[in-house]
Amino acid sequence: MRRLPVYFLLDTSGSMYGEPIQALNNALSGMINALRSDPQALDSLWISIITFDREVNEICPLTELAMFQLPEISCPQSGPTHTGKALEILYEKVQVDIIKSTPSQKGDWKPLFFLFTDGKPNDLLVYRNMIPKIKSLNFGAIICCAAGALADDSLLKELTNDVVHLDNADTTTLKQFFKWVSETIEQGSKSQGTGESVALPPPPSEITLVI
Amino acid sequence: MSIKTVKSTITGNTYQYIDNGDPKSGTAKNVYFSPDRKYVVAIFKEKQDHNQKERLKKITTDYLSRIKNNEGGNYYLDEIYRWPTDIIEDNGQTGIIVPIYNSKFFFNKGYANQDLIKGEEKNGKWFASASFRNKLFPLNLDQSELGKWLNYFQICVNLSRGVKKMHQMGLSHSDLSYNNVLVDPLTGSACMIDLDGLVVPGVFQAEVIGTADFIAPEVLASKHLGKTDPNRKLPNRLTDLHALACLIYMYLLHRHPLKGGKVHDLDTEKDDLLSMGEKALFVEHPTNKINKIKLNQIKKWDKYWADTDKLPYTITGPYLSKLFEKAFIDGLHNPMQRPTADEWEIALLKTTDLMQQCLNPLCDQKWYVFDNSNTPKCPFCDTKHKGTLPVLDFYYQFKPTVWKPENHRLMVYNNQYLFQWHVDRNITRNEKLSAAQKVPVGYFTFHNNKWVFVNQKLTSLKDLTEDKEIAIGEMLEITDNKKILLSKEEGGRVILITLANK
Repeated sequence: MRRLPVYFLLDTSGSMYGEPIQALNNALSGMINALRSDPQALDSLWISIITFDREVNEICPLTELAMFQLPEISCPQSGPTHTGKALEILYEKVQVDIIKSTPSQKGDWKPLFFLFTDGKPNDLLVYRNMIPKIKSLNFGAIICCAAGALADDSLLKELTNDVVHLDNADTTTLKQFFKWVSETIEQGSKSQGTGESVALPPPPSEITLVI
Repeated sequence: MSIKTVKSTITGNTYQYIDNGDPKSGTAKNVYFSPDRKYVVAIFKEKQDHNQKERLKKITTDYLSRIKNNEGGNYYLDEIYRWPTDIIEDNGQTGIIVPIYNSKFFFNKGYANQDLIKGEEKNGKWFASASFRNKLFPLNLDQSELGKWLNYFQICVNLSRGVKKMHQMGLSHSDLSYNNVLVDPLTGSACMIDLDGLVVPGVFQAEVIGTADFIAPEVLASKHLGKTDPNRKLPNRLTDLHALACLIYMYLLHRHPLKGGKVHDLDTEKDDLLSMGEKALFVEHPTNKINKIKLNQIKKWDKYWADTDKLPYTITGPYLSKLFEKAFIDGLHNPMQRPTADEWEIALLKTTDLMQQCLNPLCDQKWYVFDNSNTPKCPFCDTKHKGTLPVLDFYYQFKPTVWKPENHRLMVYNNQYLFQWHVDRNITRNEKLSAAQKVPVGYFTFHNNKWVFVNQKLTSLKDLTEDKEIAIGEMLEITDNKKILLSKEEGGRVILITLANK
């Protein structure tokens, strides 16, 4: 009945080219498989993936987990990080996608939003402009992941208190991070209906949680 | 990878486990296997305080020996519970020793179309949901995993017994849900796991309010109050009974009894709190229909089981229907009215005596409960029953020459067995039966176009209508209106035969 929509915004800017994007693909597919092995997640989860570099692409519109097909994510060899523009698209999509409660129809659970980036927004003005709008969407949780030395935690902190910093974007780290993401989502799908807010499970030891 | 040795804080026994650096991780514990794979060492992630350790000690000593030393002890410890048997300390961390799960609780095949969950645990949720049974669902479970409808009654019998035993010992589970049970439909088995959080009333309070879908309305409705507020309701024996009723309803009907179409608030969280708490209403309430499931708002995979007109709760038969009404109408907001685990067990077992095999070889459920009509049909595939159906009603001797009905029926099908608990009023069909009592005393069969009963063990069987004794090895014909005395001993019953579907 009620769906739990989950949005992923993934940085595919030039700096992700090479090993990082491979690692990301690998980690994402591990996460999807983990979620697909969880009957509770399969009951309610809907997933959308939006990538951003110079362009913003909704590569997977919001889809039921069991029907979800993960595409290979690629990135250009160089180019800017338009995080702000990505937030604009997210804002539009969420407004269209989410089923709101009406007197005769039950609405969706509050959506979850994960942002993964290895740099800082090149469109800072747009980014800052979008922050209050994104917050107004009333997400159940917004979790940002900053990977590598170039990612700017403090800018992400303007969007949410839950910022996870990864020292790099290699296969092991990303795999562990997305395992944690899937645990967070599973916990989210379990805590729905108990009147509790989404609590983050403890992150794996290799990850710095910036709070 | 290394093998670690740890020591019990109670007995001084030592245990070993394999640490490969990547334990199975649950919400509260990391789980490691012993080298012989006979037990696991489950180590708590968080430091256990004095009270928690005391509780673990009680569970692994007092309560364990109470189960072990009572009738049916082996049944409970081998089949129904994964009961913690000992406590260990390891580098300041607390852990428990738990027997390993039986291999039948791991998927042999899992999904029909891929191997993703092959070998994984059969968490109860897989078999409560409707989606996984739908062959069109991309991740449907293989038919070889699903079992027959009859098996789900057996699963529920086992769960009811598990709850019954805890309540008899004064314990309550406090977080009974499909996440804390393993289920194997093929053998009709169920096993309760994660039993380290049991609530001993007055000694250890519940630490969590439970799992969504199973939290009792009064607990949700009062969760905003402080834990010491006298109006605050915490999980207890009566909330277990709500959870048990929900589990049984979900295993038999693959939908939730309270999740209907009524919207109480436009805010999702508030709406959910109201519809499962203060304003909770049975989706099949016979007079108040406002919370009826709206089929057009249901996921397409779930529609078959969500259709309460096509598959109302009454397909579970007269005994269970009455209990569902007690649980979700009378007792929903009045916990004292909820059926006990014992009542569920009896009603489930009696219902299995009413079950018939569907004649349609392609029927997904294979079994259904006789609907008390003269022209029975399978509610799942609408296949009508062909041929006569003997219905046996049991009577007991109230005083000499006066026989009263037991309100217990047995539907006969080809090769069905009769047991001691049918014959003798003093024998109850429960986990305490001895092996000898589980041996059939005779069977029914359709032979040369006649229904007959073949006597294998009854020493004083008598056909009262024809005034004829039937010796062991002989058979008697089952005809309409015939009366049969099963035993002349005290407690021996009389059966009255009705032939339905003539």
